[in-house]
Amino acid sequence: MEGFLFWFCGSLMLLGGVMTVVQRNAVVSAVWLVFAFICASGIFALLDAPFLAVMQVLVYAGAIMVLFIFVIMMLQGPALAEERTLLKLPMWPAVAVPPMAVVVMLIGYLRGHGTTALGAAVPAGFGGPEMVAKLLLGKYIFAFEMISIVLLVALVGALALGREERALPWK
Amino acid sequence: MEITLTHYLLLAAAIFLTGMVGFIIRRNAIVMLMCVELMLSAVNIVFAAFSRHNLDAGGHVFVLMNFAVAAAEAAIGLAILVEIFRRRRTVNVDDLKTLME
Repeated sequence: MEGFLFWFCGSLMLLGGVMTVVQRNAVVSAVWLVFAFICASGIFALLDAPFLAVMQVLVYAGAIMVLFIFVIMMLQGPALAEERTLLKLPMWPAVAVPPMAVVVMLIGYLRGHGTTALGAAVPAGFGGPEMVAKLLLGKYIFAFEMISIVLLVALVGALALGREERALPWK
Repeated sequence: MEITLTHYLLLAAAIFLTGMVGFIIRRNAIVMLMCVELMLSAVNIVFAAFSRHNLDAGGHVFVLMNFAVAAAEAAIGLAILVEIFRRRRTVNVDDLKTLME
């Protein structure tokens, strides 16, 4: 069952990623990305991280993608009409090398090198809100406070960038 | 077949590379930002996979940090794009080469 769910969520997430890249319409790209993020939430659930699975849908597929789609709608029209060519000729090596790297890794895997089992059975409550909260507000409290400062700086920066030019205090 | 850590790492690598290729070939700056989000998501899967492998939920905490960084990156990146659009009436990166000329 776990194997089936892994291949199901994994292949659908990969499909979502590829469709995000190849769709020329930015709105369609964004919807495929939401699809990929929802599949990622399934992968988190398979990895015994139920809290992350929920947060993935809430924060990524919800908040962040709404921001993207909102901006796409705001710039709709002249900005998004013309994406002349998806691929310029000199870029072919840059596009071809990464898939080749994946193929090399796959060959290494198929020859039996480096397959590592996931490990022992998980203790009860692993990855649940209680366990994550104890770590977040205990061992990692400093990182938690720092990330709130990062968010505050991003908020102030986005506000400063978004304001009308004449309204900026230093103009 | 048993699903091992290697499976999850290969999946994450494939998704990361998809995002990377998208970042290279797309010309629309908004879609390029979305490809960056896809790469961050692949990194999150690696964190969660190793967290499960080592039975240490510390990785989950760092995935949450990553969510916050991704949100900050999207907010700032899109604010910059809106400002660029106001001045240049385009978000096509082929048209934004003032520094190159």
